[in-house]
Amino acid sequence: MEEKEPVKSKPRPIIRLGLFLMSHSLLVSVVCCTAGILALLLLPVLAKNTYISENALMPGSASPMLSSDDVSEASRFVGKILSLNSSSASLGIEIPRLIKQHITALGGEVNYHEFRSQLNTFRPLQFFASPDPGIIQENSSCMSYGLNTVGIIRAPHGDGKEAIVIVTPYNSGKVTAGEALSLGIGYSVFSLLTRVTWLAKDIIWLASDSQYGEYAGVAAWLREYHTPFFGGLGKLHSEICCEPSGFSEFETDAILETGISDTFRHAGTMAAALVIKVADSSSEFEKDALSIYAEASNGQMPNLDLVNIVNYLAVHGHNLRVKVEKIQSFLHSWWLWGLGGLFESLGKLARSLNPQWSFGISIAEYVEGSATLASSLYNQALGVPTGPHGAFRDYQVDAITMEFSRQLSPGYRNRQTEFLMRGGRLVEGVVRSVNNLLEKFHQSFFLYLLTSPNRFVSVGVYMIAFALLVAPLPMVAASLFSDASKLGSMNEQSTSGPFSKPALKFRSWKWLHAARTVLIVQFWGAFMTLLPYFYCHIPNSSPMTRLLIWIVLLIISLLLLWLNLGSIFSHGNNTQSQRTQWAYLKSVTIAAAFTGLCLMSVINFATAEIGALLLVPMCLMTVPMKLKGWTLRTSMQVACNLVLTFLGFPPVAFVVLKGALKGFDSISIGEFWTWMEALWEWNSATYVYICMVHLPCWVLCILTLLHPC
Amino acid sequence: MESFTFPKAVAFLVVLIATNLTGAISSTVSHSTATMHTNNWAVLVCTSRFWFNYRHMANTLSLYRTVKRLGIPDERIILMLADDMACNARNKYPAQVFNNENHRLNLYGDNVEVDYRGYEVTVENFLRVLMGRHENAVPRSKRLLSDEGSHILVYMTGHGGDEFLKFQDSEELQSHDLADAVKQMKEKRRFKELLIMVDTCQAATLFSQLHSPGVLAVGSSLKGENSYSHHLDSDVGVSVVDRFTFYTLAFFERLNMYNNASLSSLFNSYNPNLLLSTAYYRTDLYQRRLEEVPVTNFFGSVMETIHTDSAYGALSGKQLKSGEIKMSSGEDRQRILENSDVQDQGSGLNIKDQQVTCPFTRTLSTIHESVEKVKDVDGLVNFGLVLVIPLLAVSSWLSS
Repeated sequence: MEEKEPVKSKPRPIIRLGLFLMSHSLLVSVVCCTAGILALLLLPVLAKNTYISENALMPGSASPMLSSDDVSEASRFVGKILSLNSSSASLGIEIPRLIKQHITALGGEVNYHEFRSQLNTFRPLQFFASPDPGIIQENSSCMSYGLNTVGIIRAPHGDGKEAIVIVTPYNSGKVTAGEALSLGIGYSVFSLLTRVTWLAKDIIWLASDSQYGEYAGVAAWLREYHTPFFGGLGKLHSEICCEPSGFSEFETDAILETGISDTFRHAGTMAAALVIKVADSSSEFEKDALSIYAEASNGQMPNLDLVNIVNYLAVHGHNLRVKVEKIQSFLHSWWLWGLGGLFESLGKLARSLNPQWSFGISIAEYVEGSATLASSLYNQALGVPTGPHGAFRDYQVDAITMEFSRQLSPGYRNRQTEFLMRGGRLVEGVVRSVNNLLEKFHQSFFLYLLTSPNRFVSVGVYMIAFALLVAPLPMVAASLFSDASKLGSMNEQSTSGPFSKPALKFRSWKWLHAARTVLIVQFWGAFMTLLPYFYCHIPNSSPMTRLLIWIVLLIISLLLLWLNLGSIFSHGNNTQSQRTQWAYLKSVTIAAAFTGLCLMSVINFATAEIGALLLVPMCLMTVPMKLKGWTLRTSMQVACNLVLTFLGFPPVAFVVLKGALKGFDSISIGEFWTWMEALWEWNSATYVYICMVHLPCWVLCILTLLHPC
Repeated sequence: MESFTFPKAVAFLVVLIATNLTGAISSTVSHSTATMHTNNWAVLVCTSRFWFNYRHMANTLSLYRTVKRLGIPDERIILMLADDMACNARNKYPAQVFNNENHRLNLYGDNVEVDYRGYEVTVENFLRVLMGRHENAVPRSKRLLSDEGSHILVYMTGHGGDEFLKFQDSEELQSHDLADAVKQMKEKRRFKELLIMVDTCQAATLFSQLHSPGVLAVGSSLKGENSYSHHLDSDVGVSVVDRFTFYTLAFFERLNMYNNASLSSLFNSYNPNLLLSTAYYRTDLYQRRLEEVPVTNFFGSVMETIHTDSAYGALSGKQLKSGEIKMSSGEDRQRILENSDVQDQGSGLNIKDQQVTCPFTRTLSTIHESVEKVKDVDGLVNFGLVLVIPLLAVSSWLSS
């Protein structure tokens, strides 16, 4: 015995810590989950003020050069477009022609870009791949066209390797006053930039046709821009569409008229892109307002510096009211006001203790911040771009949409020139600032959530909430596994004697059954992901019927799965082995959920964060319903489980969340289906997450709930 | 054996005496006060690239213009510019650089010789210029060909920090690098006096390691302080000049090359309230009193003048006296003489001071004066001839 003692040394501290946490896993998980949710609620308090991180930008250091002459020219241009709108029938041709004339008169290069509307197709794994150039050839119907007009200014002393893009979308079917004004802003800036000497990057003005959606035109142009095509325009057209079209005829006319060969024109790599829109509704403030939209697909954001310079110039240079999207219903929720009050009083208390601790913010600020943060989180989690700028992010170009809204007042005519001046000068300032840039945007954050136009939460802070939420998962999984294996070995020791080696071996591989179950459910999840391939082409079906088909298919496949898996549950005869069975199953489920969440947090953090809020309590709470006798505690537990599992079903979660935010009267079940379709049309990773991580875990939790023990 | 050892001992003695002698000679030569201030050099360095550092290039070009105006010729100015703002595509005024928003003065006119530009401006090249360790292929125009009588102005601007100055966003010159280079320059007798002027953040820290005599250092800010730009040109869209340099230039704009303003008046002109930092100057290595040193000793090419009655007499006397003093080129000499003439007219006081301060001029003039005092020249000549006769007799007796 004395010889053996030194051999049996103490395990290393990290292992002891792990064992300690495992043995107190219940307490640890309760504490961690609470702390995680609390950290999420604290994010508006922890937000920092934005600052311009890149030295080279120097926004606002140059005085604006846009003169009233430019603006009055642009005003006349707007008038012409609006008069075309009322007179001409073929707007789709006339407006590009007008823009082309003006650009040529200014001395810029110009070309048309013709594109076809694309059917939104189901490409669930698209987000892994870069945009596919082959898409041009497929799915194009010869019936529908859009016509973008592209004007290019070459930088007089620049090297032509970089470019800044200004996008003004308009609907060629019916141009609204707002769209005409945005074209006017684009024109005024373009006409100024043809004259200046300080350009180091080329300027591209894309007047994109938005009759098939604002995104489609921009995306089509970007795709062609980044897919070098060698050969004539006619060849490209003949490849796609054999019928002669009105547009090509018109184009040949135009070529004959001007004598310019109308090839697709390129400038350098894009440094940044600004999408300019003017809202048709008036601003609710007493000032002109500017809304910034930044979210691109799969929660990607443009560099924070781009948002910063726009915000800085708009607020300090041009006296605009800047806003970012927020969830309106949050502004009136009583619990947020209560929390805000609590945080405010805590901040005051801290300041009274030590004047240097100033982390408290006022209630109104907190509520505004949380509403904006929630909107930011939701838009990122959705993975659907909030405007045409999203198309640029797919090519790693930083882009945002700036939506101006006018304050309507008497004296509209004067207001229009003033508005054009203000908008034009802001765009000029941003262009000049980006023009100063020497490299790509890289200094500031790419991973952030906005809590107001000038406050943000960086990745280092918002990771904490997620990390705290998922931290208990591996611990609980480990403790369940070790408990189950101890229980199993005791069980086997009692039946087959203390020193039977085959029994030990058997016990150590027992979890493989559970792993097999989880694996089969995961495969089922992958099958569910691909299922819409097979029936999304059913014509004339309402979202409601499609949703019902999906649910029916889901239930049928689940039943089939149940029949297959039934053999597993009949495996263990006595209650002890069944007890260990469900513990193994839960343990592996939790491990799978943990892996899925962590993977998702890399792809789209916001999805993982919201997913963890739903998934973690559900996974941690599940216990078989028949575990013990019906005491108050167990019945509470069962009720909790049922509620969580019910809420965990994606359509239910969607309806409940939407109802909580917007009121239940406006909700229809079919909305979930349109939402899902939107997700896969935009190639959102969130769809893959829901089908391959969330649904399997939900099914596994139900399996655990219904476990016969 | 003795006959063998004796010549050896003699030879040893001779060698010993010879080494002692040469040592004595070298020690007297290396003593800086013994040599005269003969020429002026300037090394002007802008260490930072990129458009937003426009002001650093404007600083350096402004100083280049000033020292040229005050009389340092282009071939004695080493100008190092890390970037070319004039031809930057972002420049609203192509091929022009301004240091003021009034745009009155184009610093990048038709007479700017940039010796090191762009990526040539590295710590290595800077140190090579200071120490004179060049590859053979480097032309003379890119070398600092100073000698032990040179006054050198080293002006540097860029982004700095605690004991370093950033070059090109990629490397740093540290305070001990600079001190080492200066020490080597001293050893190689490449300067008589050296003024290092630095306009960066925490500029004073760059001088902390210096300990070679004859070095004077001026910095724009103390440790922990920033150096700020003076104003923004909203037309060009960048800051165009730094505060320290702006006020230095303002001081020099009032001067021409004949002015007699002292270094201490320059240093006293720095107002911390205007600079937004505290100008620092280190004088403990410098022997002369700042009040007595005109700024043109460094920023111009005005040297102490040798007062002569007739050009040839002084020249021949000097060549007889010692071959040690190197003469500057004829063109320079002419300019100096002209200057001295003008100064004669302006103020005789200056010349007097210089006669007192310069030992060489003093001995020359005393000899001259004593010669003047002798009245009976013929008697003196006869006395000399009489003295020669016994010498002749003794020598012929010895040779026979």
